[in-house]
Amino acid sequence: MTDALSPTAERAASSKSAWAVLHRLNMTTWFGVAIVAALILAAILAPLLATHDPDAQNIIMYLSPPGPDNILGTDQFGRDIFSRLLFGARYSLTIGFLAIVVALIIGSLIGMVAGYAGGRTDIILMQIMDVVLAFPSLILGLALVALMGATLTNIVIAIAFTAIPAFARIARAGVMTQRDREYVQACHAMGFSNPRILFRHILPSILPEIMVMASLWMATAVRTEASLAFIGLGLAPPTPTWGGMVREGFDNILSSFHLALFPSLAILLLVLALNLIGDGLRDAIDPRLKDAS
Amino acid sequence: MGQGSLQPSASVDDGDRVTRGHVIISFLIKRLGFAAFTLFAVLTLVFLIVRILPGDPALVILGDQASPESIAALHHRLGLDQPILTQYGQFLWNALRGDLGNSMITGRSISVEIMSVLPYTIELTIASLLLGVLLGVPAGVWAAVKRNQIPDIALRLVSLIGLSLPAFVAAIILLMIFAIYLRWFPVISAGGGTDIIDRLRQMALPTLSLALIMMAYITRVTRSAMLEVLNQDFVRTARAKGASQYATIWRHALGNSLIPITTVVGLYLGILIGNSVLTEIVFSRPGLGKLILTALTQRDYTLLQGMIVIYTLMVVVVNLLTDLTYGFLDPRVQYK
Repeated sequence: MTDALSPTAERAASSKSAWAVLHRLNMTTWFGVAIVAALILAAILAPLLATHDPDAQNIIMYLSPPGPDNILGTDQFGRDIFSRLLFGARYSLTIGFLAIVVALIIGSLIGMVAGYAGGRTDIILMQIMDVVLAFPSLILGLALVALMGATLTNIVIAIAFTAIPAFARIARAGVMTQRDREYVQACHAMGFSNPRILFRHILPSILPEIMVMASLWMATAVRTEASLAFIGLGLAPPTPTWGGMVREGFDNILSSFHLALFPSLAILLLVLALNLIGDGLRDAIDPRLKDAS
Repeated sequence: MGQGSLQPSASVDDGDRVTRGHVIISFLIKRLGFAAFTLFAVLTLVFLIVRILPGDPALVILGDQASPESIAALHHRLGLDQPILTQYGQFLWNALRGDLGNSMITGRSISVEIMSVLPYTIELTIASLLLGVLLGVPAGVWAAVKRNQIPDIALRLVSLIGLSLPAFVAAIILLMIFAIYLRWFPVISAGGGTDIIDRLRQMALPTLSLALIMMAYITRVTRSAMLEVLNQDFVRTARAKGASQYATIWRHALGNSLIPITTVVGLYLGILIGNSVLTEIVFSRPGLGKLILTALTQRDYTLLQGMIVIYTLMVVVVNLLTDLTYGFLDPRVQYK
């Protein structure tokens, strides 16, 4: 690893500091950050912003189009779609975030151990990861939720499970580039324990790549959650999940298309914003990839 | 790509060819081994999960009021009174012969049920893949050539939207615009169709909705692969020797970008197979998606178990084909 000493590598390493990365984010990335921040705020302040009780039924007002009373109209039970969207943001964001945190911790741990230990441990762990990766994530998530039951915990576990191999791979690759560097050899020479070297010294240098992966996979997690809810494997009604709202709206699509349209747009907006952030972070952390994205 | 090969390795002597043949065969055996291992692991996992699940399948079939005698009889018929290892061996052996058991609800053979709808899903997947490649590769090349100009920026935005769209959202938006508002295509694509025109009309929207997502991924990877290649010496050489702009871009540069493109196509073909579930549901199209929905709503665990095996089999086959394609695209590929 001669490039440990090369000036470009050093610059690349120093340019990964959080401050430098923030400075290099482009406009579109900030646009994504603004959308996600607004949606998080909307989810937190949902009780204040909502114009109606999200679960309150109003049979007289059922399937009414957007208007002064209900800015985005009402659904087949006369429930206010705008208010349901606000509360629905909570579930999309929470499930997506928790799933990625779980996948990040477990996946990185597996990848780091595999990359650091090498040999048979590496082969066995990565072979298992490849088996999981062989599934389409939607089918895997669908099977797991169907078999375990559609509760919040189970949905988080199922989505996390599909994302674990991605984190394992990137953490393993990162550890393998660092493993033979001089600073790691120095740690060995000073008699540091393996866990200490791995978590205190190697982890900080591979964390940026892992975080980029996390932001991109959060978009996938939100999309998977919405897809599961659309299939009918989301949180049980009347919980307002965006995917579930599209599913319910789809039954009335011929007469009142707004039922399915607004939650669809909400899902698209959140996933798009998360992808913008992921792309922007990747470009900022590794400028060499800028055009290769 | 065969005769249009640009690699400088024109003179391969017989010795090399023999070694290469060996390398390819050992690579093939390794990949086949991994594919078999994956399928075996999935079968084992599926077997275990279905057995660990709370609830007796016999109770699901017969209902709560069933007498102990009828439950015992059904256990015997389903083989559930056998030791677990015998059941496992029987399950593996049957799966190997293509027998995935019978539906818990209807009692029909799962393999037969799957085979009757599988052509619809395969037809949809292949059509979407082709359309996605036909749209995505030229779009990516165009974006790379017009880098940072308006076509590039527009295509980057379009592909970002495309890969942010969940398949059911893409399907619903197309359905709203082209089937409900413009009425160009039927709302329900039953899959049958009396003549070829009718059949194509029914397939158009489901295919387009999946192809748009596929196109988004392909445009992105084509653009980045092309940008990398366009800066290389051999492209400059091609230009210097007087090759036309067309030949430089479409033969020399694109020919050398095919490996990353194939990787992404293979990778997202798996995702496409998963997404087809959502598209089939939106367009009420027969296929694996509708079958898996039936399995879910009726809690038909044996059917679900068979479907998971089939999906895994499809993805494993796709991955295997992707690996093999590399060798045809680039003779220099090292099979390891």
